[in-house]
Amino acid sequence: MTDGIHSPFEGTPVAVVTSPVPVRIEDVIVHHEALKTFVLEAPFPVAPGQFIMLWLPGVDEKPFSPSLVTQRWRLRAGRIEVTARAVGPFTRALMACRPGQTVGIRGPFGQGFSLEPCSLLVGGGMGIAPLRYLADALDSNGLPFQAMLGARTAADLLFVDWFQRRSASFYTDDGSAGVSGPVTQSLDVELESGQFRAVCACGPEPMLLAVKKACETHSIPYQLAFERYMKCGIGLCGQCCMDGTGIRVCKEGPVLTARELAGVTELGLPHRDATGARGPSGHI
Amino acid sequence: MSRGTLLPKSGHHDRRLEVSIAGIPLRNPTVLASGILGMSASSAGLAVALGAGAVTFKSCGLEPRKGHPCPAVVPFEHGLLNAVGLSNPGAEQMAREIADFRQRFQIPVFASIFGKTVAEFGQVAEIISKARPHLIEVNVSCPNVESELGTPFGLDGAVTAEITRVVKRASEGIPVAIKLSPQAHGIGRIARACQDAGADAITAINTVGPGMVIDPVLRRPILSNRVGGVSGGAVLPIAVRCVYEIASQVTIPIIGTGGVSRADHALQLILAGATGIGIGTGLHEAGDGVFTDVCQGLSDYLDRNGLDNLDKLRGAAHD
Repeated sequence: MTDGIHSPFEGTPVAVVTSPVPVRIEDVIVHHEALKTFVLEAPFPVAPGQFIMLWLPGVDEKPFSPSLVTQRWRLRAGRIEVTARAVGPFTRALMACRPGQTVGIRGPFGQGFSLEPCSLLVGGGMGIAPLRYLADALDSNGLPFQAMLGARTAADLLFVDWFQRRSASFYTDDGSAGVSGPVTQSLDVELESGQFRAVCACGPEPMLLAVKKACETHSIPYQLAFERYMKCGIGLCGQCCMDGTGIRVCKEGPVLTARELAGVTELGLPHRDATGARGPSGHI
Repeated sequence: MSRGTLLPKSGHHDRRLEVSIAGIPLRNPTVLASGILGMSASSAGLAVALGAGAVTFKSCGLEPRKGHPCPAVVPFEHGLLNAVGLSNPGAEQMAREIADFRQRFQIPVFASIFGKTVAEFGQVAEIISKARPHLIEVNVSCPNVESELGTPFGLDGAVTAEITRVVKRASEGIPVAIKLSPQAHGIGRIARACQDAGADAITAINTVGPGMVIDPVLRRPILSNRVGGVSGGAVLPIAVRCVYEIASQVTIPIIGTGGVSRADHALQLILAGATGIGIGTGLHEAGDGVFTDVCQGLSDYLDRNGLDNLDKLRGAAHD
């Protein structure tokens, strides 16, 4: 975080907790049946864009980048919010979790977003979740930003009310909310305006690549949050390394800039799966 | 690691640290141990950039395996517990990664193979040999798949010798190292049986245990597999003892592996008789600089003792 102008934890080195800590689920916010936010006790701070490993004993453990972290450490009352959609066995089991239950978390892992003034936030689908925490941190630091947020349908658009109170535009594939079509459709126009000095994006990889391309065209620095299958979360197993340079998404990422992405050859390809093979079974 | 400090470029160069394992020249004795980073050509390439003398890929078998659910790797005070469960993309795909690595990097590359039966070790060796790794390491000692694959072959000297012969026949002249379990009774005798069966090197040791860590609040084992192999600082004295016993029984080179995160750890293994120094969990315990730091420490030791190479130290702890 040395380059981060306004890191919320600047000057406070954060020890990484590498073994799971049991925490209570304080609250569950239901967006709809298969899309919920879990409010957890926070045993450690997490910066925007960093991730935690969330362990459901007897099920599995998966990486999540929080949708909000409230930091009242001295009161021992910090909260980590994790927003998840039911897509597989793990997230389906997570949907069944209730307040009062205990889960395990470890972290914080990886490199997050650095907070820059005049940022444009571009989010797609579940990628909106980490951007909400980033937006909250920018707000708290008095740094102006705008958000462009897209999803398949209105029901999939996360934190609409929250973002509407700030500065955001919305896009849906089916036109059920906001502008119809991809979130990246007017990116060139926005970047052309000259009002943005940085772009932060999180979402499906094709969206990230469109953002990358537009930023390169307009010579605006970008920070892109990537997703890869992870096994250890601590930079050891090699599972999340990107082809080309071997950069670890769990350690040098998940938020990567032009500098770290230089030499990476796998962007846009199907991801490696649990076996380590890349192929049609890997999702993108 | 702060943003911008991506990777140290392989820092330490000292020709006095060059060693040879089964005729393979290494720029220094450190070897990336199997299971850490060696998933793909690019991930193994990280270890090259970090200064490793050779890299070992993750163990592969005949078929792709997803391995165990997570948590599969859990740190504890003195090392790591892991039960990754031999996840791998299968020998055919691994051979492509190894071939890609050979094209892109100049550092020796070791394949690691396992089989569900003695014959399968031969089949996997045959497939992986097409990629022409510099050495094939035979994992007869993974402790994490016992419920599925049975007691590790490596606990039985006769079976291990048989696997050695099968792999040697299938590997087209590529040197073969057998990776032994510290659980084996009489590890020196088993190593001797491997040597007699044609092994070119011994890697010792695989993880210890298995062990278990339990969360006192959740009141259950943390690893999804419940048990996992113990590595890191906790196992160093066991590795030193095993290498010492093996060195008194064999003349083939030993890749001493287990708990090395500093130069004085590596020195203990060399003094016990090791030629190569495997480093895996050390990457967690000492960070990305571990290969460079271990080599720097070895150079300093040579300086202080007025030595030109590591030869006089190898096995020097034996009477």
